[in-house]
Parts: sequence; structure tokens; C-alpha cells
Amino acid sequence: MRWPGSDAFLRRAVVWLCSTGLLVLALQRISHRYIERRALKGWTAETLLLRLVIALGRRPIAIVTKCDLAGDITIGHGVYLSDRGFLILRPERIGSGTLIHERVTIGVRAGDPAKPVIGDNVWIGPDCVIYGNVTVGNGATILPGSVVSMNVPARAVVAGNPAIIVRRQFDNAELRRTLNSVIDPKRLAST
Amino acid sequence: MSRYRDVVRADIRRCVGEHEASTRRVLATVWEQMGLQAVLVYRLGRWLKDVRWQPLLWPLLPAGWLLYALGLVIVRYGYGIRLALSADIGPGFWVGHFGGIEVVNCRLGEHCSVGQHTRVGSTEDAEGPEVGDGVWIGAHARITGHIRIGSGSTVAPGARVTRDLPERALVVGDPGRVVFRGYDNSQILPRA
Repeated sequence: MRWPGSDAFLRRAVVWLCSTGLLVLALQRISHRYIERRALKGWTAETLLLRLVIALGRRPIAIVTKCDLAGDITIGHGVYLSDRGFLILRPERIGSGTLIHERVTIGVRAGDPAKPVIGDNVWIGPDCVIYGNVTVGNGATILPGSVVSMNVPARAVVAGNPAIIVRRQFDNAELRRTLNSVIDPKRLAST
Repeated sequence: MSRYRDVVRADIRRCVGEHEASTRRVLATVWEQMGLQAVLVYRLGRWLKDVRWQPLLWPLLPAGWLLYALGLVIVRYGYGIRLALSADIGPGFWVGHFGGIEVVNCRLGEHCSVGQHTRVGSTEDAEGPEVGDGVWIGAHARITGHIRIGSGSTVAPGARVTRDLPERALVVGDPGRVVFRGYDNSQILPRA
């Protein structure tokens, strides 16, 4: 869902309540924090509370959104996930400012535990599959329907099944902005 | 009846991974794995279809179909896994993840695996694909048309298959190309 540009309270509230992509992302961040805290401090009041939230919320959110995000992904800030769902994401890392559209799978190659790494400011179109021990560079653009199983250099555009590089040195800032500042430009500028 | 018990046992063994797992372990796996739930609902439906020819078991039918309908609603609309009763699926079927899976009008052998967002067969064709034993079908793959897929083949993620495949082939891409013959997928098939 689009993040409203103005400070209209009502529109913000609608995004908070209705955006399923945001819901999935929130649950992933809770799971991530739980895993971190659990490894660091063991069972405390906080980890118990987080565990309770995950236990109650995981299955209903999976049914409503048809998304499954692993808890151990390190996700940067300003990441946008599509509201149409059907995301199965199990990469090592998702960089900040990345856009992921619906029906995307990111995961391991069968029988190989190495996970893919997604860089910053990547634009991933709908129906994409990214699998295997691959790295998607910063600012890369993955066009809809691509199946990527090789490394993507930074700022490259890939397309096709199996994917090939169709252009190098492409600036996808305009493409990412079409979703109307889902990424807060002020926060991006400060990092 | 006993045939269906063996089939369900093979399905559960595929997910649990042990021959003699405790009941608690089996129940935990069924709760955890949405794909296994879908397969169990499918097996129930197939059993109810078979029971039509055994009048002694007719009293069980209303409760059985009610249970099946309930399971179908959860599995098809909740999880997005559609295993139609028109599909003939062999024992030891494994569904990975959930969402957008469609298996209709086709015939699958033993120990097959499908990933998320796969489509095997279509509602338009009366005669769908005939898939052999131990075939791995990766995520987002699509297999359509009246074709024959050899045993032990591997369909890579995102591949579109519309032609016959030999045994133990590895097929990649759209349109699907056989890039490797004699590919051994026993390593990637989970506990077949």
C-alpha cells in the first residue's frame, strides 16, 4: 500500500491497519528481535511476550497474507513488501530501500544451505524467483517473471527465464519512486 | 481401507523423516506443515470417493464429506493449496510451503514433490500430464498439456514444461530445455 505523502492522519491510519505487507514485515521484525534476544539473554519477560505474539499471530497472518518470511533475515529499513502477498522469502539479508512485489520466492537451492543476499535499493518485480548461493548487488533491477540463479552486479537490469543481464548501470530510483515514497526520502538521506 | 492407511503413512513419513515416529511428533508435524495438511485432506476426499462402492461404510459418508468440506475451505482458501480430486497422486507426496499451488487433472507417481506456486495440469484440459515416480517440481514451475514426464526428472524453479521429458532429466527455463540427462535428484528429494 502506498505511504501517503502528506501528513494526513486518517490516510496514515488506513495504511497501518490495512497494509498486509506492513503486517508481514512487522511480524518478521518481531521474530527477528525474538531470535536475537533469545540467543543473547535467554528467557526474559520480553522474550516471553514476543514468543506469545509470534505463536498467536503467525498462522493467522500467514493465512491472511499468504506470506512466509523466515525470522532470521536481517531486513534493512524502508523495505516495501507488496500487499498482494504470496511471498516466500528466506534470504540471508535484505538491504534497505528494497521493493519486493507479489508472488516472489527468494530461497535456497534444494540440497544446498547457502542463502541468497539481496542488496540495498533493489527493485524486484512480480513472479520472480531468486534461488541459490547468489548475491544481488545494490541498486539492481529484476524485471517481472525473472528466474535468477546467478550473481547480479550492482545497478544491473536482469530479465528472462533463466535471467540474463539486459542493461548495466541503470538507475532505478525513478522506478522505486513510482510507488510514491514508500521509502521516506529523509530517512534514506540520513543513512 | 488398508491401502489408504499405507498411502497416508508414506505421506507422513516424507515429512517426519522417521519410520517409527512418536504420535506426538507426527501431530506436531501435521500442525506445523501446511502442505501435509493439504495432502491429508486430499487423501480423505479420495477415500470418500472410493467408499461409494462399499454400502457398509455409507453411514460414515455425511460426517466424512462434512470434514472434507471444512478441510477444503482451510486448505484451498486459507493456504492456497489446491489438490483437486481429479488428480491421481501416488503415495509419499510432499508439498513445500504454500500459496498458489494447483494440481488438477493429472497423474503423479510415487514420492513426488512440488514447491509453492506450482501448477500441474489445468482445468481446461481433460487429460493432463502423466508424471513418473520421484519427480521434483520446483517453485513457480508450470507443467501443462497431455505430456509424459519420466521418473526421477527434476523441474527447476520457474521452468515451464509443455513437452515430453525423458527419465532423470533436468529441465530449466521458459520454454523448458533439458540441460542435463542422467541427473540424480535423490539428494534434493526430502527423505524419499
